[in-house]
Amino acid sequence: MPLKFSPSLFEVNNLNFERQGNLVLKNAAFKILPGEYCAIIGPNGGGKTTLVRLLLGLEKPTSGTIKLFGIPQQRFRDWNRIGYVPQRSALVDGSFPATVREVVGMGRYAKRGVLKFESDEDKAAINEALELMGVADLSNRLIGNLSGGQRQRVMIARALASNPDVLIVDEPNTGVDVESQHRFYELLRTLNRTKKMSILFITHDIGVIAEDITRVLFVNQTLLVSQNPAEMTRCDEMSRLYGTPAHVVCHNH
Amino acid sequence: MLEMFDYPFMQRAFAAGLIIAVLASLGGSFIVLRRYSLLSETLAHVSLVGVSVGLLFGMSPLWMAVLASLLASWMIEYLRSAHGMYSDSVLAIFLSGSLALAIVIVSMAGSFNASLFSYLFGSILSVSVQDLWVMGIFGSLAMALLLAFFKELYFIAFDEDVARAGGIRVTILNYMLVSVIAVIIALSIRVVGTLLIGALMVIPPVAAIRFGMGFYPTTLLSIAIALISVVIGLSASYLFSLPSGAAIVLCLLVIFIIALVINRR
Repeated sequence: MPLKFSPSLFEVNNLNFERQGNLVLKNAAFKILPGEYCAIIGPNGGGKTTLVRLLLGLEKPTSGTIKLFGIPQQRFRDWNRIGYVPQRSALVDGSFPATVREVVGMGRYAKRGVLKFESDEDKAAINEALELMGVADLSNRLIGNLSGGQRQRVMIARALASNPDVLIVDEPNTGVDVESQHRFYELLRTLNRTKKMSILFITHDIGVIAEDITRVLFVNQTLLVSQNPAEMTRCDEMSRLYGTPAHVVCHNH
Repeated sequence: MLEMFDYPFMQRAFAAGLIIAVLASLGGSFIVLRRYSLLSETLAHVSLVGVSVGLLFGMSPLWMAVLASLLASWMIEYLRSAHGMYSDSVLAIFLSGSLALAIVIVSMAGSFNASLFSYLFGSILSVSVQDLWVMGIFGSLAMALLLAFFKELYFIAFDEDVARAGGIRVTILNYMLVSVIAVIIALSIRVVGTLLIGALMVIPPVAAIRFGMGFYPTTLLSIAIALISVVIGLSASYLFSLPSGAAIVLCLLVIFIIALVINRR
């Protein structure tokens, strides 16, 4: 029986990215395997979001290679295997005409193809995502009228609707209350453990998810990879990485 | 009042008006949601360059307007997306630049002639059978593209990055959208005129959005608002001898104000 080949989800080598002549990312290299829960941390402006945008093909690297599911990014077409939840949706304000149901439905668009109506399979996937994120009762509400926490769950439901293999979440740093935050972390853990979904999570608070994660990418122009999250969460280590003046909040659970 | 339909010119006016109402409000929905409303105003002025070239060289002003509007829409989209220029400043440059060009071309022709005037303010009552054919053919094409890529365009309007990350062909669809808008505008200037087309594209969706519904009902309502305005505006124009384009736009304004009052929050 041949061995089932299971390539890394992401494989990045010698990745450099400059924006208007400024170096944003230098010589980044890492691998993320299926089933991992990877936290991306680092100071603001350190390049976390840029790194994710590079993985998603939203920015073009200055040099270096990116492979997705073992396929060079330029030839990769299965984008619906990756669910993306951006930090905030640019245009969503109080009046954007989009119901929760419609927003989650968008997650199926790419898979469905042009000129096709919603199939039963689409409907089932949308309903499942709505239920899973606990926003089914909000289906007919306008997205702009929701609270920050509710909106975040809708955006994740949209990402989940395409049944992705990996979820990339850029955590919002404002507008979500502490309680929703904790429910959210629990949810990511459930997705990772019971649904076997791989997760890439840009976060500011690695302490509370330290037990869940399998790998940490610390991004501050250069990139450090650690497979020992406990080590990364130690206060002195963090202070060293952020540079001396940084203020680090530690959770000593 | 219904005797107005006995006149062939009124029949043509209504046919042209209704075609344009559907196209402008549907296309307008996407540009309004993308905060790109001024695109319609800009491309209308660019169309004027086409019209003046047509008048100067004795070619069809309508065809030349379609051509000029299309070319400009691609340049605008290119400058916005590839060079990361602010879209409002790109639009401002094209708006006044094309108006200047149109004025120079017209003055080369000798004088500001009356036909140009009809393109500024629209002269729906002089729509010819040939105009209707051009509107019908290009209008169907524009409509088919908007409907075929309806959900993709909606996704892009909602969140361009996530749509792109999800595998939607954003770049090509953006070019398609501005092309369709360009054609719709060039077709519309005969009906409401360069100076007024912006209203027909922008007011119906903006008024419909006030009702706080999802995208599909909002789009339908927006089309309905445009249709109602065209019907009332044209009838008023017939009954009270008003300029048709202005009558249509005033109707839109009234509906907009009603929508605001009903949905005060």
